[in-house]
Amino acid sequence: MIAALNGAFDDISKAVRLHRVWVALAHEDIGDQHRRTTLGPLWMLVNYFAFVGTFVFVFVTKDASDPSYIAYVAIGMLVWFYLTETITMSVSLFQREASFIQGTTLPLFVYVMRLTMQCIIRAGYSLAGCVLILLLAGYGINSNWLLSLLGLLLIVVATPALVTVFAFLGAFFPDSEFIVGNLMRVGMFLTPVFWVYSGQEGVQKYAYHWNPFTYFLEGVREPITAGIFPTHALTVTGYVCLGVWALALLLLGLYRKRIVFLI
Amino acid sequence: MTSIKLNNVSLVYRLFEKLTLSAPGRRRSALGGNISKSGTKQVVQALDDVSFELKAGDRLGLVGPNGAGKTTLLKVLYGIYQPSGGTISIAGKVDALFNISIGFRPEATGRRNIVLRGLISGWTLAEIEEKMEEIIDFSELGDFIDLPFKAYSQGMAARLAFAAATALEPEILLMDEWIGAGDASFQEKAKRRMDELAEKAGIIVLASHDESLIQRVCTKKMTLRAGRVESLT
Ligand SMILES: Nc1ncnc2c1ncn2[C@@H]1O[C@H](COP(=O)(O)OP(=O)(O)OP(=O)(O)O)[C@@H](O)[C@H]1O
Ligand SMILES: [Mg+2]
Repeated sequence: MIAALNGAFDDISKAVRLHRVWVALAHEDIGDQHRRTTLGPLWMLVNYFAFVGTFVFVFVTKDASDPSYIAYVAIGMLVWFYLTETITMSVSLFQREASFIQGTTLPLFVYVMRLTMQCIIRAGYSLAGCVLILLLAGYGINSNWLLSLLGLLLIVVATPALVTVFAFLGAFFPDSEFIVGNLMRVGMFLTPVFWVYSGQEGVQKYAYHWNPFTYFLEGVREPITAGIFPTHALTVTGYVCLGVWALALLLLGLYRKRIVFLI
Repeated sequence: MTSIKLNNVSLVYRLFEKLTLSAPGRRRSALGGNISKSGTKQVVQALDDVSFELKAGDRLGLVGPNGAGKTTLLKVLYGIYQPSGGTISIAGKVDALFNISIGFRPEATGRRNIVLRGLISGWTLAEIEEKMEEIIDFSELGDFIDLPFKAYSQGMAARLAFAAATALEPEILLMDEWIGAGDASFQEKAKRRMDELAEKAGIIVLASHDESLIQRVCTKKMTLRAGRVESLT
């Protein structure tokens, strides 16, 4: 156990020393994805607007300009897209990096940070879009935004751990790539991304209370839409974060030398 | 002091058997390690009880038929694979040239690729900047250096890879079948660079099927067969 943790911290500290590698590679990745397009990474912004726009048009029927629902969906989509993208890309991370893993001695955490970095850069575009929507919907910038930032920060802190856990899952059980992909697609409907929970019984109740993603979302959303400090959401997010990090360190410590034989 | 020491190193690859309905008929092969089964898994014994020692200035040529375990041994030396048994001790900064395309991004220019390759090997940006011109000169790529890597021929890629890997004077250099792609003049140049490296008390391990290359470059020769050391001279 101690040895495992030592191994994990060794891997992580080596990766931190190589921070230039993953920063450079993440930029290359983003560049490659959009190399031959005219709009480039702005496509991510377009994508985000299209989604939020669709949901606002479809679900706001009576009162088409309800600003609180627009903000609700805009922030919900921002966080949900970030989480889905990160998780689905994590599951196939080690397979995608196979040639590097089998040809260099870079610590595994370098690949984790490379993906983390890439997801954060991509989310930056959606974030810009989200802020724009909030301003257009009439939400002035105020101190509540700082509380939201706290929620975002927790999500960012959890990201490398989430990536690690799902990347190991994908390496040990290749089938999980498809299971996780499907679950995340269904998950959008089981998480209060675009529907509002107001005390209903049944599936929605469980989907709201027993879904860790709910708290990731609410921690960012509540300060702006409800103007409250999201104590409960942030506490749960914090615990989930700790748990995932513990699992990630354990996996990294115990199995990082095995990955090269599995992919 | 640069040195490599291996004691009874062995390595097995475990393969997960896929569900299949076809009959399990097996043919013996003269190549490769030994295939056997343990539980539901197939295992290949790629290295079996390998021991040897190299000191500063040694240049070892690795030979043996396809599947003898040469690449596997180099990857164990580099630290990509942890051996399943035995011990390894290595003193010195190791760099390796396996597959030429590893660590190169097809869309990025040669120049950018040198930077990436350098960062991956743990160089600082200042070191990379300092060595950049020398690498470009040595590879003789000229203006091609600012074209994307995917536009290079195999020999050009090999030149870039070799120039970059040897630029920072690694103490131990591992090479796998890379040189065939370079033309005669480049091979000559590469040999001189390897001589220099060995004179500076470095160690070179080179796996190749080209006997004459091994003869020209190496001072020792090790023959592997089915994962075992057949001879070491
Ligand atoms: N990733 C792998 N998974 C399973 N078995 C492998 C793997 N890589 C190599 N092997 C097996 O290990 C043995 C040694 O392979 P290796 O690649 O080291 O041979 P080599 O001497 O480099 O051969 P060549 O001359 O063809 O390059 C072979 O039997 C091969 O089938
Ligand atoms: Mg080989």
